Amino acid sequence: MLIEIKNLTKDYLMGEVKVPALKGIDLKIKKNEYVAIMGPSGSGKSTLMNILGCLDTPTSGQYLFNKMDVSQLNDDELSAMRNREIGFIFQSFNLLPRMSSLHNVEMPLIYAGVNKYERRKQSVKALERVGLAERMMHKPAELSGGQRQRVAVARALVTNPGILLADEPTGALDSKTGLEIMQLFDELHHEGNTIILITHEKEIAEYAHRTILLKDGMIFSDLQKNLNSKIEKQTP
Amino acid sequence: MDFEENIKVAIRGLIDHKFRSFLTMLGIIFGVASVIAMLSIGEGAKRQAIAKYQDLGVNNIIVRDKELSNEELEEVRAKFSLGLSLNDAYVIKEIVPGVVDVAPQAEKNSEIRYADKSSKSTLIGITPSFIKILNYEADKGTFINEDHSERNLKVCVLGAGVVKTLFQNQDPIGKMVKIDDQWLEVVGVMKAKALFTETVGELASRDLNNDVYVPLSTFHKRFEFDNKLTSEIKQITIKVDNSDQLVETAGLVRGILDRHHYNNDDFSIVIPFELLKQEEKERRIYNFLLGAIAAISLIVGGIGIMNIMMATVMERTREIGIRRAIGARKSDIMSQFVTEAVAISITGGIIGVFLGVSLSLGISLLTDVSTLIRVYSIIIAFGFSVIVGISFGYLPAKNAANLKPIESIRYE
Repeated sequence: MLIEIKNLTKDYLMGEVKVPALKGIDLKIKKNEYVAIMGPSGSGKSTLMNILGCLDTPTSGQYLFNKMDVSQLNDDELSAMRNREIGFIFQSFNLLPRMSSLHNVEMPLIYAGVNKYERRKQSVKALERVGLAERMMHKPAELSGGQRQRVAVARALVTNPGILLADEPTGALDSKTGLEIMQLFDELHHEGNTIILITHEKEIAEYAHRTILLKDGMIFSDLQKNLNSKIEKQTP
Repeated sequence: MDFEENIKVAIRGLIDHKFRSFLTMLGIIFGVASVIAMLSIGEGAKRQAIAKYQDLGVNNIIVRDKELSNEELEEVRAKFSLGLSLNDAYVIKEIVPGVVDVAPQAEKNSEIRYADKSSKSTLIGITPSFIKILNYEADKGTFINEDHSERNLKVCVLGAGVVKTLFQNQDPIGKMVKIDDQWLEVVGVMKAKALFTETVGELASRDLNNDVYVPLSTFHKRFEFDNKLTSEIKQITIKVDNSDQLVETAGLVRGILDRHHYNNDDFSIVIPFELLKQEEKERRIYNFLLGAIAAISLIVGGIGIMNIMMATVMERTREIGIRRAIGARKSDIMSQFVTEAVAISITGGIIGVFLGVSLSLGISLLTDVSTLIRVYSIIIAFGFSVIVGISFGYLPAKNAANLKPIESIRYE
């Protein structure tokens, strides 16, 4: 089991008032699963993503990643987890604007302490994987939205993380480019990556093989999709 | 995160915001430049002072006959004092322990003439020990020697200024000059000496280059004082073997002379080395104040850096969030921002060093203030600018490191 979450809760303090965002989540995700987490705003899906992505720690409960208890880690250890095991893909790309694509992709490896030569090699490979080998020296502003998101995907891939965590990855893209990105995710999944997709769009969620619906901080439904139906959908 | 990457990011930051970086640096630039300029002015003054006292001899005690009016002279003579005498010099040398040698000298204002030119000079009668004690050097020819003294020869050695006035470009050696009513042969010329522009203790300032030296024996035999009551000797320079003993030796000399002069208090004692020490003590306080004022401008420069860094951190909240999300530790963010602050202060420091050095050179070229740039002052100024960068970059960097990743990544 790659991810095992037991009775996880998260409360926020709004002034003096404790507001529960997650009220006891139990969740298991295996390696090479393709999971979509859905839910309306305020359902707690962003909170769950932050905790899954080691950006935040739960109030109570357990989060085991590869059998390691993440909820007990300190700030530096969480940073190392994010660096090695989580590949973030954000709605707004979140690239560093003053750096080339290549340098952006290299960033996680810099923090991992990988040497210059190895860094360059792996980053070029990741950019080739997303089809942007020719745009390596371009800065984000010189790229289209779809290309920027591909750079972001390359940056997420470059450390060979345990999971790819995508937060509304098509939210800032037109439907055609969005489709291209989702096809890229399909390919990455076939190559053995574990993907967790956070979205509120049903069409996007349908690319995943399993859909978890959150409501009011709890899991409302957890559906494993029939693979045949997906094939039918892709070939209308 | 490796150091090289930090430096690259910092330098790129500087280049991307050239004008802003330059404005931020201004405080450091002027701070470093003024520290260097202040220190170089202090060092210049120190060098001049040392040169001045070296002329007087750091191991010397100078006993000088007081300038007295005619009435005062009559009074002290009536009280049995003969003023400074050759005998005083002889007694000091024989009795006082630690005395290596003494150089008595007689002085008289004279007019010296050659061809149609003349010069007002101080005629000084000396013994050969004079040159050893005061480190005088002849530029050409010889200085007054034993032979000249023993045979009361009518020879003289001219100061550089006198040579310039009387001879211009001619070689004065071997020429006859007329001093008062006596003809003397020029046997030597002195090296030019620094202008003695300040009064040192009881020694009035004068231009040593206008001196004319003759053997003391010749002086007494051939020349007469305007006032018959004038003391035989104007000054006795005493060389001591150990500069630690200067004050004690001077005390002994005073005791002996007081007895010989029947407590008439008609002489004064100057210890150049003690004056130098005292002057240096005063100057050190003065220099420290100058340096401190300059250092304040460095600190103000540091506050400027802190101000800009605080704004930069705000502006780059999202970048910090992204870096944190992809694995930067707090310490990585911290060192990145400290490096940026230090990059600003080092760049400012380097520009400041150049500005400070040119300022110092400019001051000594365009004014008569002498400056001396010492390596230590550059190191102090530059080192201080680096320390300012680190200390004033620390707080903004800490703020940056403590931003929460989930909040900063959504910051617009």
